[in-house]
Amino acid sequence: MVSEEQPRSARGNASRPDLLPVLLLVSVFVIATCGLIYELIAGTLASYLLGDSVTQFSTIIGTYLFAMGIGSWLSKYLDGALLKWFIRIEILVGLVGGWSAPLLFVLFEYVQSFRVVLYALVGLTGILVGLEIPLLMRILEGRYAFKDLVSRVFTFDYIGALLASLIFPLVLVPQLGLVRTSLFFGLLNLAVAAVVLYRFQDTRPYRRSFTLTMIVASMLMLAGFLGADRIMTYTESLAFQDKVIYSKTTQYQRIVLTRNAREWRLFLNGNLQFSSADEYRYHEALIHPAMQQNPAARRVLVLGGGDGLAVRELLKYPQLDAIRLVDLDPGMTQLFQQNEMLLALNQRSLLAPKVQVLNTDAFLFVRQDTSRYDLIVVDFPDPANYSIGKLYSTAFYSELDKLLSANGVVVVQSTSPYVARRSFWCIAHTLEAVGFQTMPYHAYVPSFGEWGYVLASRNRPLTSVHRAVRLPTGLRYINARTLADLTHFPTDMAELPTDINRLNNQALVRYFDDDWGPYSH
Amino acid sequence: MPTRRFFLHQTGLGLAGLLAGPWALESCRSTTAPIPIKGQLRGANQAVGHLLRGGTAFPAPTHEQHLDVLIIGGGIAGLSARRWLHRQGLSNTLLVELDEQTGGNSSHGQNAVSAYPWGAHYLPVPDPRNTELIDFLREVGTITGLADQGQPIYNEYHLCHDPQERLLIDGHWQEGLVPERGVPASDRAQLARFFALIDTLKQATGQDGRDAFAIPLDRSSADPTFRALDTISFADYLDQHGYTSPYLRWYLSYACRDDYGATPETVSAWAGLHYFAARKGKGRTQTGGLVAASDVLTWPQGNGFLLDHLRQSVDSPPEQPNLLTHHLAHAIQPHEHGVRVLCYNVAAKRTIAIQAKAVLLATPQVVTKSLLRPLAPDRAAFADQVHSAPWLVANLTVNSLPQGGGMPLCWDNVGYNTASVGYITANHQDVSDQPKRVITLYWPLTDAPPHEARQRAYRLTYADWVHRVLTELEALHPGVTPSVEQIDVQVWGHGMVAPTPGFVWGEARQQAMRSIGNQLFFAHSDLSGISLFEEAFYQGIRAAREIIQALHPSTHPV
Repeated sequence: MVSEEQPRSARGNASRPDLLPVLLLVSVFVIATCGLIYELIAGTLASYLLGDSVTQFSTIIGTYLFAMGIGSWLSKYLDGALLKWFIRIEILVGLVGGWSAPLLFVLFEYVQSFRVVLYALVGLTGILVGLEIPLLMRILEGRYAFKDLVSRVFTFDYIGALLASLIFPLVLVPQLGLVRTSLFFGLLNLAVAAVVLYRFQDTRPYRRSFTLTMIVASMLMLAGFLGADRIMTYTESLAFQDKVIYSKTTQYQRIVLTRNAREWRLFLNGNLQFSSADEYRYHEALIHPAMQQNPAARRVLVLGGGDGLAVRELLKYPQLDAIRLVDLDPGMTQLFQQNEMLLALNQRSLLAPKVQVLNTDAFLFVRQDTSRYDLIVVDFPDPANYSIGKLYSTAFYSELDKLLSANGVVVVQSTSPYVARRSFWCIAHTLEAVGFQTMPYHAYVPSFGEWGYVLASRNRPLTSVHRAVRLPTGLRYINARTLADLTHFPTDMAELPTDINRLNNQALVRYFDDDWGPYSH
Repeated sequence: MPTRRFFLHQTGLGLAGLLAGPWALESCRSTTAPIPIKGQLRGANQAVGHLLRGGTAFPAPTHEQHLDVLIIGGGIAGLSARRWLHRQGLSNTLLVELDEQTGGNSSHGQNAVSAYPWGAHYLPVPDPRNTELIDFLREVGTITGLADQGQPIYNEYHLCHDPQERLLIDGHWQEGLVPERGVPASDRAQLARFFALIDTLKQATGQDGRDAFAIPLDRSSADPTFRALDTISFADYLDQHGYTSPYLRWYLSYACRDDYGATPETVSAWAGLHYFAARKGKGRTQTGGLVAASDVLTWPQGNGFLLDHLRQSVDSPPEQPNLLTHHLAHAIQPHEHGVRVLCYNVAAKRTIAIQAKAVLLATPQVVTKSLLRPLAPDRAAFADQVHSAPWLVANLTVNSLPQGGGMPLCWDNVGYNTASVGYITANHQDVSDQPKRVITLYWPLTDAPPHEARQRAYRLTYADWVHRVLTELEALHPGVTPSVEQIDVQVWGHGMVAPTPGFVWGEARQQAMRSIGNQLFFAHSDLSGISLFEEAFYQGIRAAREIIQALHPSTHPV
């Protein structure tokens, strides 16, 4: 069909009236592709930002198609210079559709009812796209027999749809990303408007008045296209399943809080730190076994743990005199000292009179500190890079050793012994290399899976057999029975030989990378 | 990372610019102009040093001082000799240094982000048999004790932290400097053959029972089989033995440029192999880990750490300092009780005369020849043979380094087939993490004969160097320029000696080490032919022993 038309356009000059239908049919193809792409972008974005992709895709497609219906119905009210209307609509589709993805990304964090914005944009795009085909059919009316007109327009429409649905997942999203794809198709709509505007004599009377609009619109799209990286830099951390209720970039990290109906979650640089639904399991397992080893403890040092949740558990022991928390990031500790919702979770632990909060680098702190502690709680992020890996090294543990009182105990959060078995045992062996006796143990935290800890002490033999008379009341996970169970390792998490993590080999980071690698893709 | 608000603000400006026309864009551009990069071109000592070239009228001396030993030159060799003399009870010494600070190639600087080196920046873990050096490392806390069988125990903070090295090749950062990525099998075979050869040479001993390759190199075997390697260039040797792989040849060229400031065409085969085959360090870490020959010791200020300890190992009382910086020794005169040396105080613009029983010239040959020309013209002639390689060292403060694919930032970061030999991260040894870094870029100027390259380097302005340094860095990190806050640049006109064929084992070098009349002594890594901390340290001790022997002939050398 295309080839049948081509010889004419090749030899004809642009202003010949018989060129119009050909170019308009090509436009059908382009705008059909664009239309479906906008729909796919909105569906993808909604699942991406709001989660639950079945619901999101379903409601977005429904809304979009319905809006197209409204557009088709409205088309009967457009009269007069139909080509002029078509150009206007194309420019609008380009602007609204093209900017929909970047706008949604940027507005996501700022707008309380994001869904309203989302569906409004989807609706608007749908209405505009719905106007296109009826308008075109009316322009082409009389140039074809009705049966040919319907046949040709819808053939191009559906071919465009096929093309869009194939290139969107296979080429566009992987190569361009959502924002650039959106803007690119916006530019295509503008190109259709430009072709119609400049190739047909009928448009001559209003060509000049449209030119400035075209230039500004194109530059807007181009600016967005070139700035897409920036837009994505600001929104990359929004790739969370749940609704983001707080996000802040501090000097050290990006803190994001999300929530859904059941729980809320804290992410640091995109890594889950805890879920409010089950963090008590993690923190009870971190603190209470260590306190059982050293019930006479008076002074405690907590390294990391700026959320105050480990401190909350420590405050259940009235015999403690002083708790010093060292966390690098003031943005983190201030958040957990000020936000009412978070204060309810950590029970205002970081505001307790016994608690001192220091915002400094933990490694520098332990090298300079000269006091002694009965318990040191090490609650750092997992050793996912070489900077954090240094905080799990023999050098670091030697410094801790110097800060421990005679009966002092250290407990180290030690990643998952199930997923990262070698990493876990590497941490235990590294503590042993410094001269500690260790007691590795693990707990089940549903949002993390099996999670591991290592207790270490220089002078006291550690044992999992407890009298367990000193547990505070009100614990939900740790009791005498679970305490005894923690130290049993099933075969798939059992000890295996590993290297020792030293500053000059960073064996742990390499294990961790291998262990978690398959999970991060 | 800029904030979202910043972005919206910028976008707003941009949109306003689009709508309001070109004049708005113009104003927009001026408000977002990049912050200019701070920094300066260092190298003031070059002007002071060039006063020696003659024609300078120094003022007459205003006072005289009498000493046992005067040491000229405050680099590693001079400070090592001073330490040794004081340890042996010879404490009536004075050291003069023309620069404002001691240091030589171990000079270092400091800014708000980190200390950083201006030259030498690491020490390979030494051979445990190098007992003088092992003792010194114990003094400075780098070695904390000895394990069973006398193996040194190393301070874990001083061993270079992992990850140590990476190479940008084929647009990807690979771990390690030996090319692996995209290297064909035949080239891999040559690389393997070369490293097998090195393993053999590490074990090899000559007929005299000595190691074929040792540090200090004067302890290497005199066996002609090995010394013959000193008569040909490394490049010829590699050609003759079928080491033609471009990947291997790049790697060896990198190694020669990195250690000698010269190419395999310029250095001898003996020296080229020595670089690899003389590394025989081993030991333990404090927690029982193995320390291997490939481990290196490094500090934020580079070998400035060792330098400062060497200097501080001798107390210099403020009322009677035994170390004077910014003093240029400009004339050496024979005298009835020894030697008389005129030293020009650059700051005060006056001259003092020092009479010493012995004078140690711990100076590079370019200085030695000026001082000796009136006394010993033959020695001056030797200095002209020295291939003195010019270098450019730049310290950059960056607030981030755009990272390509592959290995993250390491201590040593090198590009395949680049003009420089890459950069080290000065704050790599920090145990705390901070996004700002000081990186030290090393650039041996080997694209022309040394004299020509040196003159060309002296003519370039700070702006020229900034442009070159940024171009070089952009090749490693595209888009890095806006992240650079500061660039300081130092041209080392006479950066280091290069071990050209015949230099290390020729008679001339032996002669240049010999004292003149048991009054003038010589120590410098130039006299080893390779510019290593270990060599300068050894040269200082060797000369100190000769001085002690000369002043107290009855004592047994220690």
